[in-house]
Amino acid sequence: MKNPYLPIPMMLKKAQIETSDRLLRTLELGFKNKEDEESFRFVPGQFCELSILGKGESPLGIASSPTEQGFLKFTVNKAGVVTTALHHIEEGSEIGIRGPLGNGYPIDRFEGKNLLVIGGGFAFTTLRSLVAYYLHPENRAKVKQITVIYGARMPGLLLYKDELLEWEKRNDLKLVTTVDWGDKDWKGKVGLVPNVLEEVAPSSEDTYAVICGPPIMIKFTFPKLMALRFPNERIFTSLEKRMKCGIGKCGRCNIGHLYVCKDGPVFSYAQLEKLPKDY
Amino acid sequence: MIQQKLREKAKELLAKKEVDLVIGFSDWTLPLRTTPVFIRTPEGAERLVWNSFCENNLAAYLHKFSRLKVGLVVKGCDARSVIALNLEKRFPNHPPLLIGVVCQRLVDRKKVKKAVKGEILHAVEQGDLLLVKGENFEVSLKRDDFLYSSCRSCIHRTPHQAHILIGDPVEEVSLVEAHPDVDEFERKSSEERWKFFEKETSRCLRCYACREACPMCYCGECFVDNSRPKWIEKSLSPSDLAFYHIVRAYHQTGRCSGCGACERACPMDIRLTYLTQKLNQEVKDLYGFETGIQPEAAPPLSTFDPEDHQEFIK
Amino acid sequence: MKLKLDKKDVENFLKGLIEGYDLYAPAQLTEGVSVFKKIDRPEEVNLTQPVTQKPAKEAFFPQSEVMFRYEEAGNRGQVISAEQTKRDRILLGARPCDIEAISIIEKVFTGEDYTDVYFLEKRKKTTIIGLGCNHPLSTCFCSSTGGGPFHRAGSDLFFTDLGEAYFVELLTEKGTAFRENKFFKEADPKDLALLKELEDKAFQKVDGSVPVEGIEKRLDLMIESPFWDSIHEKCIGCGVCTFLCPTCHCFDMTDEAVNLKGQRVRNWDSCLFPIYSLETSGHNPRPTGRERTRQRLMHKFNYFPKNFGRVACVGCGRCILYCPVQFDIREALLYASARRAKGLKGKSR
Repeated sequence: MKNPYLPIPMMLKKAQIETSDRLLRTLELGFKNKEDEESFRFVPGQFCELSILGKGESPLGIASSPTEQGFLKFTVNKAGVVTTALHHIEEGSEIGIRGPLGNGYPIDRFEGKNLLVIGGGFAFTTLRSLVAYYLHPENRAKVKQITVIYGARMPGLLLYKDELLEWEKRNDLKLVTTVDWGDKDWKGKVGLVPNVLEEVAPSSEDTYAVICGPPIMIKFTFPKLMALRFPNERIFTSLEKRMKCGIGKCGRCNIGHLYVCKDGPVFSYAQLEKLPKDY
Repeated sequence: MIQQKLREKAKELLAKKEVDLVIGFSDWTLPLRTTPVFIRTPEGAERLVWNSFCENNLAAYLHKFSRLKVGLVVKGCDARSVIALNLEKRFPNHPPLLIGVVCQRLVDRKKVKKAVKGEILHAVEQGDLLLVKGENFEVSLKRDDFLYSSCRSCIHRTPHQAHILIGDPVEEVSLVEAHPDVDEFERKSSEERWKFFEKETSRCLRCYACREACPMCYCGECFVDNSRPKWIEKSLSPSDLAFYHIVRAYHQTGRCSGCGACERACPMDIRLTYLTQKLNQEVKDLYGFETGIQPEAAPPLSTFDPEDHQEFIK
Repeated sequence: MKLKLDKKDVENFLKGLIEGYDLYAPAQLTEGVSVFKKIDRPEEVNLTQPVTQKPAKEAFFPQSEVMFRYEEAGNRGQVISAEQTKRDRILLGARPCDIEAISIIEKVFTGEDYTDVYFLEKRKKTTIIGLGCNHPLSTCFCSSTGGGPFHRAGSDLFFTDLGEAYFVELLTEKGTAFRENKFFKEADPKDLALLKELEDKAFQKVDGSVPVEGIEKRLDLMIESPFWDSIHEKCIGCGVCTFLCPTCHCFDMTDEAVNLKGQRVRNWDSCLFPIYSLETSGHNPRPTGRERTRQRLMHKFNYFPKNFGRVACVGCGRCILYCPVQFDIREALLYASARRAKGLKGKSR
């Protein structure tokens, strides 16, 4: 019997502060054991439990793409005990992970369709994984148009800024960035994500929408998607809940009879509609 | 009869809309017990009961219903908790309207259960007697032999602070010289005391029934749940259990009315009141203070006086 | 083959079990308070309490359990050693409700993708000796939830107290391995007759009328029912009902360590505690007693049946007996089945 509670050892290869508020740090982890690396297969949207011995575990979405080999990337919001420790840990140190956990985005269903990606704030991590996955030459043909709308409160709070610049230059992806408050160098849009979505007005025809962000953003974006005639079963979101085991045993993260850790974290709105609003 | 008067009073308060809600006791499924009941209509007042099994301190519900004007059925001890809560400014909007009942001292169901063989299926009070029936037995017990120890030493049975008093004030006498549990504890050597304390707390599940049953435990986040700093681990190691029980008791110092609701709530029969009652006694000896007796008197452990004669405070 | 174990031989029988196995059985911690614990001496075992406070699940899923220990070991990095169950075990004196509950928890801990090795190792290594309930309590309703006071499913051996002896049944392969136990004697036909009599009497005592059948479907329609607004009112939010419930299996995982030397531990947790679902951001998806009580009841009677095909309640009555405010789960079930709760009053014998 394999023990699903034992973390596999990783090494912090590189760490970088992402945002001007210094609350988001991206960690690049390398596998310590070759066999762990070989057996680690994931899809965008899955997550891992990052484990710091002596402190505990914290669930984090995988921000790197399966097409990026040799490392896993996570962006950590400094909030609790473990995430604070993940901010302080030095390059070269050991970190444990358990995963990949959860279902991930339904890439099979996206095949041959258009993709609309809507992100807000630091919830952009697994969306970055998804977009990077499709931008890989081997996968680009799997979906048609890709539209990304990504917003943050201010320019300094956008994640992966260098990469966003790269994406902007591409012609096989439409990127719209927006902030609530711009500064003198800001060239993107100024405005809230739901309003920008309305303005951009992507067609819902043959299109799947994936949306991740703070609850307030999701709440106001959803009606705009409805207005654009996106049906519930073609809108997906990734939920966060307090979790412990990550494998559907410890209780806690359920919404109705589904567990966010095991049956999610990615759900369609058609699914969520039928469940109690315990999230 | 007290119960009838209680129902009439509750009915009147609800009919005149002087309160939104009356919290009292009602009969329910188990013998020797009552259950808290939440009444919003005058007709509902018929569900109220009063007997020696009204064991909960209903003041614990005031935090949950802070947005309503509550009529609260209180015994002497429960009323004292409300006074103490009031001193801690817990009722900025609606201080509860206290429907005081002069308490006849309560019957300890666990003691009764131990006195008979087999499951008790039915129990009623008749004067000084307690008639208890099971499948193969029927006995009458002397009620006074089966009182909670916190009730035996009680000298505040009349809730004088209540807005409405049901029953006539009684002469306040203790049935025993000292609090029996404190007395028993004090007669032990310090090693024996520690052993006793450890044996009792070793059964703790950390279900926190004692905490939740207590009106004075209302912290938004209990110290056991703090993660930064983490004061205490979550498992059942003897040191963590000791730590929880010592701190719980200590947080009650000068605030506990000695109602005993914590001990009654415990599913593992852990004795708790010897600690809190001992602390109550200390506060009384040192400061002449008793919780919830004088509505305006500040609790000694939450006041600071630069002229304090105690050296340690300077 | 019908067997029995004379009471005078019980002590030596237990001695044998203690020598060969880790024995878990009910023991009294203080008068009237029993739990299942590892037994060191035969006289600790106490089989008289009809419903122990803590259920038998503890033999497989201890309230507090070290999952693994760790330390920093220089150039070998962080060394982790997982806990393992080494010895074979016997669980003795568990009642049919508790044994049924173990099979319920097992459904969760087995799972398709991940197996809970800590639970399953213990389960595999354990032989269960069930004990029939001659004297069910008025709060027992096991026959309403698909069980019964002499429900034998899940037991490898099954004991019934006949007064002077225990009637012994060997039910599974693990059970028949005990056929040669020197303390087991052949039972008489009159022992069998007595067993039948006790069984019938007990069955009549248990409340089989609590409306559990069809509850999943009824609750499907009740997620936003005003029912939840009132039913939670008396709940004070302690963990008694969940900790003492034989089917509740939620746990928390924490690290207990000094510097880098320590252990990862799991402890029982309760959906009735606010902190259970409180997120670091301060957001709590189940902010009040209403949502938390709903979670407790829906999990047992709606979500669990959806996932595993049966209710997560075995009718042991612990949550009724030990609740500080008499929240009665039968009341909730009656309400949910649109029968007036009044009908319950005076029903408990």
